[in-house]
Amino acid sequence: MPYKKLRIEVANRVAYILLDAGSRFNKLSVTTIRELKRAFAQIEADESAHAVVLSGYPGESFAAGADIGQMVNFSSGDAFHFAELGQSLFDQIESCSKPVICALNGITMGGGCDLAMSCDIRIASEGMRIGHSGAKLGIITGFCGTHKLPHIVGKNFAREIFMTSEPYSSADALRMGLVDRVYATDDFWPEVLQLAERIASHPLHALSAAKRLINAAEDIDLRSGCLLERETATHINSLSC
Amino acid sequence: MPDRLGTICTTPNGVAILTLTGKHTVSSRDLLEYLYRQIAIMAGAEEIKGILVTGSESGFCLCSTEGAASPQKASHLSDFGQKTMFSLEKIGKPTIAVIEGECSGVGLEIALSCDFIVASQPARFGFPGIAIGQIPFCGGSQRLARLVGKSKTKELIYSGDLIDAEEAYRIALINRLYPAGEAVVKAEKLIEHICSRSANAIRIGGEVVNAGYDIDLQTACMLERDAFALCFSSFDQREGMQAFLDKRTPHFKGE
Repeated sequence: MPYKKLRIEVANRVAYILLDAGSRFNKLSVTTIRELKRAFAQIEADESAHAVVLSGYPGESFAAGADIGQMVNFSSGDAFHFAELGQSLFDQIESCSKPVICALNGITMGGGCDLAMSCDIRIASEGMRIGHSGAKLGIITGFCGTHKLPHIVGKNFAREIFMTSEPYSSADALRMGLVDRVYATDDFWPEVLQLAERIASHPLHALSAAKRLINAAEDIDLRSGCLLERETATHINSLSC
Repeated sequence: MPDRLGTICTTPNGVAILTLTGKHTVSSRDLLEYLYRQIAIMAGAEEIKGILVTGSESGFCLCSTEGAASPQKASHLSDFGQKTMFSLEKIGKPTIAVIEGECSGVGLEIALSCDFIVASQPARFGFPGIAIGQIPFCGGSQRLARLVGKSKTKELIYSGDLIDAEEAYRIALINRLYPAGEAVVKAEKLIEHICSRSANAIRIGGEVVNAGYDIDLQTACMLERDAFALCFSSFDQREGMQAFLDKRTPHFKGE
């Protein structure tokens, strides 16, 4: 079945999922989320890909939040199911065995911000704007943002971002730790490609193990984490001998 | 008594400015009791939409650093201090600590219990109590570690050194660093802006952030999903989204 809201390209062991809704801003509508789930399942199964880049390049936005026209008449029950759908996508990205790099080419709001936070590394173009406009819409996010944002930027910046509902610049995002790198507009895409290809050149089993361990570190105590690391390293590091 | 320790003035836009004017002669018990009463008043006052907690250039709620007379008294004081900070954290309205002078000891504990901190020079931050054998007792060791990390927290508590506003900004103890003398005016604008958003969404969001922070991702996301669904039975959700679609300013009721 063809995709309507995105394209997939694979080159040099990197799979690119490029959001392209055909309108000015990409929105995380029910259709887009379902297509993203399908795309990640397809790439998970593609042995030629060792890393994933998720982006809205070369468009104006990465993802400008949910589709408000679709949501305005949601009942609480609709909202519940919508949150579950979004959360299942983000869970799929976190448990994807391949590193996922999020290349934030432009506007990244609301659910788009949550989508970016479910990826492993975030790289932004200088002109990117990022934020969470829930409080301006009378809602909170339902896509794991209330847990992820405070753990990425700290509780205080998270509360400020939620409370102001304003977009923040790439420089602000870098300072808060919400993005890991910022590049000038012209350097952005070549840098994304270079990093993705370098990561993809490494053995996939080691990348996957590192991803699993680092994700587990968020939720478990240090002692159990170290036990897990020992067991994983014993297995993984012997494969390269 | 109250006027010795602080004042509250409420602007026509519903911003309460709680100015703590402590002195080194005030006991921390008196300061905490005063704060506890003001929190209860501000929580119940419908006209108050957002809160700035501030001090003066000479210091942000200074109080004496005398030790407690017995372990039992120290324990009671810690109990009461922690209860006060939890009540500030759960006040249900946006709170910003605005620091323009020394913010140390109990002062820093109070600032850490606000939603976030903004400051301007000559603000300074720290827990100097270690020099006389004291450690934070209102939850400060836990809140600071969650905010700036374990290493910075140990450095600050072990050394007892005060850091300046630049350093506090660099380590993300404060969210914004304003030019000297402008912190209160700028913070007032910021909180007014925040108060123009849905109070309902802000309250629920803040509570979910606090409740979810110390638990695992999956459980926290379930909590968030349910709170998200709850927003869709509110007036503010219909109004906020309709206003967005109509490209006009929303008129929230906070319900």
